[in-house]
Amino acid sequence: MLQVRGLACDLPDGRPLVEGLDLDLPPGRNLLVAGAGGTGRGHLLKVLAGTERPRAGEVTIAGIPVWPGEGALGLAGRVRMGFAFPAGGLLSNLSLADNVVLPLRFLGLPRGEVDRRTGEALARLGLEPLAGLRPHAVSAAARKHANLARVLALDPELILLDGPLEGLDATDRGLVLDLISGWALDSGRTLLLAMEEADLPLGAEFQTLDLRAPHPPSEPS
Amino acid sequence: MAFLARIGAPVRGFLEFLGDQAHLVWRTLRSGLALRAGQLAVVGGQTKLQIRFTGLDAGVLVAGTALLLGAVTLIQAFSQLSGLGAENYIGTLMVVIILRELGPLLTAVLVIGRSATAIAAELGTMQLNGEVDALAAHGVDPYRYLLLPRWAGVLVAIFALVVCFDAAALGGGFLVARLKYGITWGFFMESVRQALSNLDFTATLLKVFFFSGAITFHACHFGLRVRRSQTEVPQAVTKTVVSALVAVFVIDGLLAACFYF
Repeated sequence: MLQVRGLACDLPDGRPLVEGLDLDLPPGRNLLVAGAGGTGRGHLLKVLAGTERPRAGEVTIAGIPVWPGEGALGLAGRVRMGFAFPAGGLLSNLSLADNVVLPLRFLGLPRGEVDRRTGEALARLGLEPLAGLRPHAVSAAARKHANLARVLALDPELILLDGPLEGLDATDRGLVLDLISGWALDSGRTLLLAMEEADLPLGAEFQTLDLRAPHPPSEPS
Repeated sequence: MAFLARIGAPVRGFLEFLGDQAHLVWRTLRSGLALRAGQLAVVGGQTKLQIRFTGLDAGVLVAGTALLLGAVTLIQAFSQLSGLGAENYIGTLMVVIILRELGPLLTAVLVIGRSATAIAAELGTMQLNGEVDALAAHGVDPYRYLLLPRWAGVLVAIFALVVCFDAAALGGGFLVARLKYGITWGFFMESVRQALSNLDFTATLLKVFFFSGAITFHACHFGLRVRRSQTEVPQAVTKTVVSALVAVFVIDGLLAACFYF
């Protein structure tokens, strides 16, 4: 699903993040990008997703060149990808429900299917009472959940989650971990997770890319 | 070498800017041509919003400005040409000054002040919040969802505003002509009609088309270049205003030279 060759990229402040990274992630496998907050794991995820341009190297998703190429735009309509951002990422002029609906409508799904998927995703994340509110009117945890609801409703083949547990209380963490476990154990999905290794859901196998250690990534643990 | 580099840097920057503008236009056109039926409602909804913000909400401002401008133009013309049969030149004055030049130009200036600034600030803020990245990552082409509706909306709005501007300016001019010389509505409009030509309609339509493109893509260019901090947003807005104004005046000059020189 994901192939990386000789990837080199820098953090926004100019510090080098990775140099000459090679990576092969077959469909259905999971990758943990490990490292504490501030190590650039989220930035690396953005490079792999095609929303940030690397300094050098190649990234291919499902055989489609992302870099060099058009980035994530080249994947539109060809690979279903979901990306849950640690903060922001929701359109501030749309309600939480409309944020979930928008990618589904762009996908060309029938209205009934869009409504069903949106309703189910919002209910799973406990967002039904807040569905009509805009992102600024809800808590940071609800915005995180809305990011995940958008991913869930999209039913993507490739899922990227950046710090999905950060800032959540015990109840919310349980809810999100349950969701992540389901995705990690699903052989039809490829999951890229950027978070602390200690928070990994039990039972699922992950290749690990430790940003504090030399590359390449370790074998599944 | 340092001297040459100093000369070359702005030239290179300008060429890069032109290249980026061409890229934005090309990508937006391409995304528009690839629009699917299911996406039409979403893009149409965004276009309607843009027409409302740029056109409908600016209608009173544009009409008021045009009414005063039409009246002032004829007051000044009559004060300078009194005794020379100024009333015989009413139509020519209105067509040459208002309909041909100031109508499209001032409408564009007002749209730059109201809407280009808003577009640049909105897109800049969206960039900072990661909203544009989120769209792309979830299969929503930002060219299709953000740029295409803004371009289409600004195009329709500027056309409507120019029509509104011209009508209000003619109204203002007629009021002065009526009060000063007792000229009838029929005489006034006949005078304007005789001075108007098909060339004026063609030039105005071309101005509307090119002005809307210049305004939208300048705003989008500077808005989408915001990357790191909130302080870049007002900078993007300022650059948009200056750059779009220059572009609009250059286009106006070029079209005037092509059609009337």
